[in-house]
Amino acid sequence: MINPYYLQIASFILINILLGLSIYITLCTGQLSLGSAGFMSIGAYTSALLTVKLGLPIPLGLLAGGLLAAVIGLLIGLPTLRLTGVYLAIATLGFGEVVRVVFINWESLTSGAVGIAGIPHLGRTILARLQAAGFSPESWGLKNNEFISLTVFLILLFLTLLTLLFFSRLLKSRVGRAFQAIRLDEKAAEAMGINTTYYKILTFVQGAALAGFAGALFAHVTGYISPADFTYHRAVEILVFAVFGGSEVLWGPVFGAGFLTLMPELLRGLSEYRYFIYGTILVVLMIFRPQGVIDRPLLDRLRGRRNEGKDAA
Amino acid sequence: MLLEIRKVSMIFGGLAALKDVDFRLEEGQILGLIGPNGAGKTTLFNAITSFLHPTAGEIFFNGEKISGLRTHEITNRGISRTFQNIRLFDQMTVEENVMVGRHTRSRAGVWNSVLRTGFQRKEEARIREKTDELLDLVGLQGHNQSPASSLPYGFQRRVEIARALAGEPRLILLDEPVAGMNDNETEEMARLIKKILGFGITILLIEHDMSMVMKVCDRLVVLNFGEKIAEGAPREIQNNPQVIEAYLGREEE
Repeated sequence: MINPYYLQIASFILINILLGLSIYITLCTGQLSLGSAGFMSIGAYTSALLTVKLGLPIPLGLLAGGLLAAVIGLLIGLPTLRLTGVYLAIATLGFGEVVRVVFINWESLTSGAVGIAGIPHLGRTILARLQAAGFSPESWGLKNNEFISLTVFLILLFLTLLTLLFFSRLLKSRVGRAFQAIRLDEKAAEAMGINTTYYKILTFVQGAALAGFAGALFAHVTGYISPADFTYHRAVEILVFAVFGGSEVLWGPVFGAGFLTLMPELLRGLSEYRYFIYGTILVVLMIFRPQGVIDRPLLDRLRGRRNEGKDAA
Repeated sequence: MLLEIRKVSMIFGGLAALKDVDFRLEEGQILGLIGPNGAGKTTLFNAITSFLHPTAGEIFFNGEKISGLRTHEITNRGISRTFQNIRLFDQMTVEENVMVGRHTRSRAGVWNSVLRTGFQRKEEARIREKTDELLDLVGLQGHNQSPASSLPYGFQRRVEIARALAGEPRLILLDEPVAGMNDNETEEMARLIKKILGFGITILLIEHDMSMVMKVCDRLVVLNFGEKIAEGAPREIQNNPQVIEAYLGREEE
């Protein structure tokens, strides 16, 4: 019934959804930040080191990971706020590389390129706790590894739903309208009395915190991290989640992360050819649907309420 | 005195877009800013709202110096504006545009919004109520859900005015509100402007349509090549030889 392999893929999809949302939320004020991999690694290393070296509980590590990423996001966001478009993208991409190089070279703390192994695993830790309290997965008819995968999946699902609720409410409020106004016309937004600096930094920091949090979860799901997990390939992969799925609506990066994480697995039988197909799908999509798969008109249609009069597409 | 422009200059390189411009606007009045194209009218609007910072001179609003403040701080103090080349948020609906205009008169931040507190829900309801009121006022009731970019030009101008009014300003700057409109639409806009005045809102108006300016304005300031060349009641301005030479005597540009 419960296949640990499928559950693991589902768990990675959920982490990737969080990462896709992290780039999306910063994009909500029109800022393209490619620092997600960098913030992700900060969250991952923070939580890994705190739990491995200091023996702190995992929840504390996760919070600290998200928090430190947010603080560093604030420090990076303040000076780079003057940059827009491709310049901001390059600067944040550079930031990610700097972070990675620091993790490689700070060997006394991070073990350099070797990485950190033996990070407390989210599912196994919970199982150990429960077993100590006398619970056995057998009583639910589950094997140990099935229980572990299921626990991880459910926790990630809960956190992802919570994040989605957070942002869908935020975007439908006064704050969300300010974000959108800034994205559409920054000068006009300012003329509406919107403090554009504040809101741009807010989304930058929120994106950084979310990426850091997702990175910390990643560390406790894989149990092993190294700087090679956070190269600029990762940053581009996260960007593609948003671009492919659609960067205008919250559901875009959710779909993008889900589909693009699942597809290589589904095509696994084709061995090397699967990345060829993956690439072809991306190219074809960008030609025929540059705004991404999910956009506002599509959502409206799915909800069955068409705009009267003109079709906004 | 609600607005005081004190010897404001704006020099771009060697070119003076504004030179020692100096005038005052009393609360509750409507002042027309006229002059040929390139005279510096929109530049003055940009200086008042800090889109540009004057190279010399000062601007006072309600006794407080506002030149040097940031744009959103000026809006917060009660100055709203519209734009010559309409700057609506195109991908938003009409309603959302006006709701954005209400930003300065609402408070809900991240946590109130995410937790949907009673305060936030009440405020949101008030924003919608106010938005409906304003769309009624500008004659766009029922267009709430239309995408702003789908509306005809004249309607878009009215959405901009509703959006500017949503912040309950004390002073509103209107940049050519009837440009490109026919006689009927112009007539309607003149009525709307009178209504806005009726709410006690002060207006600074840039307009090329002379018959409209003469009809609605209490006073006029005439700019030419960045300098104020005349100021007075519409009737005086109409007969001022300097103005006639600079502006009224010319063909429509």
